[in-house]
Amino acid sequence: MNRALRRVSIAVLFMFVLLLANVNYLQAFEADSLASKPGNSRAFDAQYQYQRGEIETADGTVLARSKYVGGTYKYQRQYPQGAEYAPVTGYDSLYGASGVESGENSYLVGNSSKLAVRNVIDMITGKPKKGATVQLTIDSKAQTAAWNALKSSGKAGAVVALNPQTGAILAMSSYPSYDPNQLAVLSGDQLNTNDKNLLHDPSQPLLNRAISATYPPGSTFKIVTSSTLFAQGKENQNSLVSAPTSLKLPQSSVSLINNDGEVCGNLGNGKATIITAFTESCNTAFANIGMQVGSAALKSMAERYGMNATSPTLNQELSTQVAKSNFPLEPAQSFTAMSAIGQKDDTVTPLQEAMFAATIANNGTLMRPYLVQQVQAADLSDVYTASPQAQSTPVSANVAGEIKQMMLSVVSSPDGTAHQFANAIPGVQIAGKTGTAQNGINNSGLNDAVFTCFASSGNRSMAVGVIIQGGGYGAAAAAPIAVDVLKSYLENG
Amino acid sequence: MSSVATSEGAAVGGVPDAPVVMPRGRRRTEALMLVFSVGIVAFAYANVGFGLKGAPPAGMAGYMIAFTVLLVIAHLVVRWLAPWSDPLLLPLAATLNGLGIVMTYRLQEVGRDGNPGAMSVPLSTSATLIQIVYTAIGIGCFVAVLVLVREPRVLQRYTYLFGLIGLVLLALPALLPSSISEVPGTGAKIQISLGGFTVQPEEFAKLALAVAFAGYLVAKRDVLSLAGRRLVGIDLPRARDLGPVLIVWAVSLLLLVFESDIGTSAVFMGLFVCMLYIATQRTSWLLIGFALFVVGAYTASKLFSHVGERFDIWLHPFSGLNPSHNAFQLVQGLYGLGAGGILGKGLGAGQPYLTPLVQSDLVTTAFGEELGMTGLMAILLLYGLIVQRGLATSIAVKDPFSKVLVGGLSFMLALQVFVIVGGVTRLIPLTGITTPFLSQGGSSLVGSWMLIALLMRISDTARRPPPQPIQDEGMTQVVNLS
Repeated sequence: MNRALRRVSIAVLFMFVLLLANVNYLQAFEADSLASKPGNSRAFDAQYQYQRGEIETADGTVLARSKYVGGTYKYQRQYPQGAEYAPVTGYDSLYGASGVESGENSYLVGNSSKLAVRNVIDMITGKPKKGATVQLTIDSKAQTAAWNALKSSGKAGAVVALNPQTGAILAMSSYPSYDPNQLAVLSGDQLNTNDKNLLHDPSQPLLNRAISATYPPGSTFKIVTSSTLFAQGKENQNSLVSAPTSLKLPQSSVSLINNDGEVCGNLGNGKATIITAFTESCNTAFANIGMQVGSAALKSMAERYGMNATSPTLNQELSTQVAKSNFPLEPAQSFTAMSAIGQKDDTVTPLQEAMFAATIANNGTLMRPYLVQQVQAADLSDVYTASPQAQSTPVSANVAGEIKQMMLSVVSSPDGTAHQFANAIPGVQIAGKTGTAQNGINNSGLNDAVFTCFASSGNRSMAVGVIIQGGGYGAAAAAPIAVDVLKSYLENG
Repeated sequence: MSSVATSEGAAVGGVPDAPVVMPRGRRRTEALMLVFSVGIVAFAYANVGFGLKGAPPAGMAGYMIAFTVLLVIAHLVVRWLAPWSDPLLLPLAATLNGLGIVMTYRLQEVGRDGNPGAMSVPLSTSATLIQIVYTAIGIGCFVAVLVLVREPRVLQRYTYLFGLIGLVLLALPALLPSSISEVPGTGAKIQISLGGFTVQPEEFAKLALAVAFAGYLVAKRDVLSLAGRRLVGIDLPRARDLGPVLIVWAVSLLLLVFESDIGTSAVFMGLFVCMLYIATQRTSWLLIGFALFVVGAYTASKLFSHVGERFDIWLHPFSGLNPSHNAFQLVQGLYGLGAGGILGKGLGAGQPYLTPLVQSDLVTTAFGEELGMTGLMAILLLYGLIVQRGLATSIAVKDPFSKVLVGGLSFMLALQVFVIVGGVTRLIPLTGITTPFLSQGGSSLVGSWMLIALLMRISDTARRPPPQPIQDEGMTQVVNLS
């Protein structure tokens, strides 16, 4: 019988070896893959067991922090600035995250591979784990100015302000917004209710209009149209262009007119200089220029300004919320004419609007917009510091200078569409372009007000893009907001 | 003692006997190891308190004193009734039992007193106390087995009585109405629940049937091992000798079908086939038994949805709706093990309560989560040591009945651990059986202590030194009468 018993013993040994090997496999090798399985609430809850990193502005205003509350989720996220910064920070809720909270999650949680060594040291020294602090490029004064201006306009819209020399985003505001604290509640039921209310709110507070929504650029696109023409090297701001009061579009029954059917310029021969056409925003002149350079050239220039990008910049920092600004190749000359004045199929985000002005302000070079300035580990050491990068050079410095002259004229010339802002900021010259974009089926919708501009004072400069949905005239609804933002930033320089 | 024997042999002056190495009782080793296991359990118990509240748990002293007193009683009874038994079995069992109490306390505290979490089926506030009472009953039964069974062979006399008792205990829950016998929410009819008091008779049926199998097999082993024909290198038994195997197979299938108790069915079948193999040394019995079980299980998986579902959960726990429905329990257990990682979250610091019914079938995942791979491997090795001690005893003991019985019981314990731990770690399909000593609940604990008592009784027999022949009577006195 002992022979059989020995064999049974070997079988038993084998059974235990299998169990031990399997436990090793599961707990040592499979642990990470199990933790990343959907619905693993342990891995999920683990994030709430220690302090998540803070999010703050460039000047140190705390936008998001974690407060100890005890219970299953030991820490709760708080957003002291509420709705104003929601388009920037996004939210970190039990069921998901958005904005910087989502894009910079690995730093905020503290699981980034760049933090691995520090985490091991903390584990050995018994220091409680804490996520890294993410410092944004946002300037709190500019952000507040943008928010207050949008709020008092009462209309849906958005503002993006850039530092033209670096691409740093100085303000990003969208209205209506929501209070992210509502989504940071730790009760699942409460969260569901709040989330449902926000989702079903007809004013779409969760939509970050600054980067996730697109609107027709209207006349602000004339910057791109002019760039295309000047880049060919034959014409400049003083060249004459045909600018009739009414332009019959080829192969079409539609006639294009200038705003309110006005005559362009004062030459009286149906022609105008390009700077005049730009200053007065004559549609017929730029429709002609568009047809002259052709849709392919316009598209190519628009793409150099950042449109049509399939993986728009900022995607990593803000998760994947940046919408594509669109400029398709138009099949007919009449469509090309429309697209050259920012209508037809053209759509842009307010961010793209700011990028137009920023390119001109930076002598033709577009800097890649970024939102995260610096990431600091819990031990205050730097983990990441932003380095400004050029994205493209749509136009030469020379062409940029021509367009800058035209944009200054829009504000400074008595005939300019935005000349009421000529002395809005004492000692500061604003360069801008207004846009009043028709939209809706058969242009039945209210016009969107668009304004893109830049200005500098001392060593500070800023480019701003504003779009107000259904705001009417760009100069009336969008420009005052942009000027407020410029003022807040430049005067505090 | 051996030196004494040698010197005595030499003192005779004639041819010295070969020195007889006398086994020692090693009761002091046992006492020392018991101190060690009480230490581990007390440390773990305090650890739960520190993990949850940062302070030792309230009432810890009382529970630990009660636990220690019970072990002292067990140790003294062993000194009295089984002085030659294996010194490791009692401390190993005590450590596992103690860790079970610790985990019961840890899970009882879930959601109470400001501690995080919520159990799917909360433990009562007196769960720890009840577990200690069960431990007391378990050790009482341990003592009772040692008192009543002074010689293992005594059991052999009641082979058929034990067989009958075993079958009745097994069949009882199937015959009773579901309201009494069904484990709530599982569909398994394996218990008898009367007036708040629940017994799972199969835990005792296993022991009774093991005794019955051993008695029967030892009586019939000659005919089972010799008669038959040889076919392609395998000795096949006669058709009429297949009877007992077929009966046990049928009973295990009935268990499967009427009580939805796949795990226990596998354990019974494995126990019987293993004992049959030990008794006859005939490989063909192993093959026949294994083939019968596989055929039975496969057919059942096709015929009965609840068996088929087990296989689906095992093979595809993460696909489709499985993770949140059928496989939820298994998947949560796996997540727990993964969260524990190599070193574990620490007692009181994990989230074992996220796994439904973690206090019974999936208790190993709670240990894996809070003690990590390291702790779980240590626990598996504790079981492995008990089984190894049992198998070593069965090789050492001379009496065939004891050999088959202790070999079978050891294998059954190993199989039970394999089925449940393998099940929760997805090595094999998960079937609900209790984890010996660790699961919360009384019947399993009491049955496990009785099993340990049987192992110790037989190891006492195996290690007891043979009665010393009277060697040194001195010279035969010549008395001159004249």
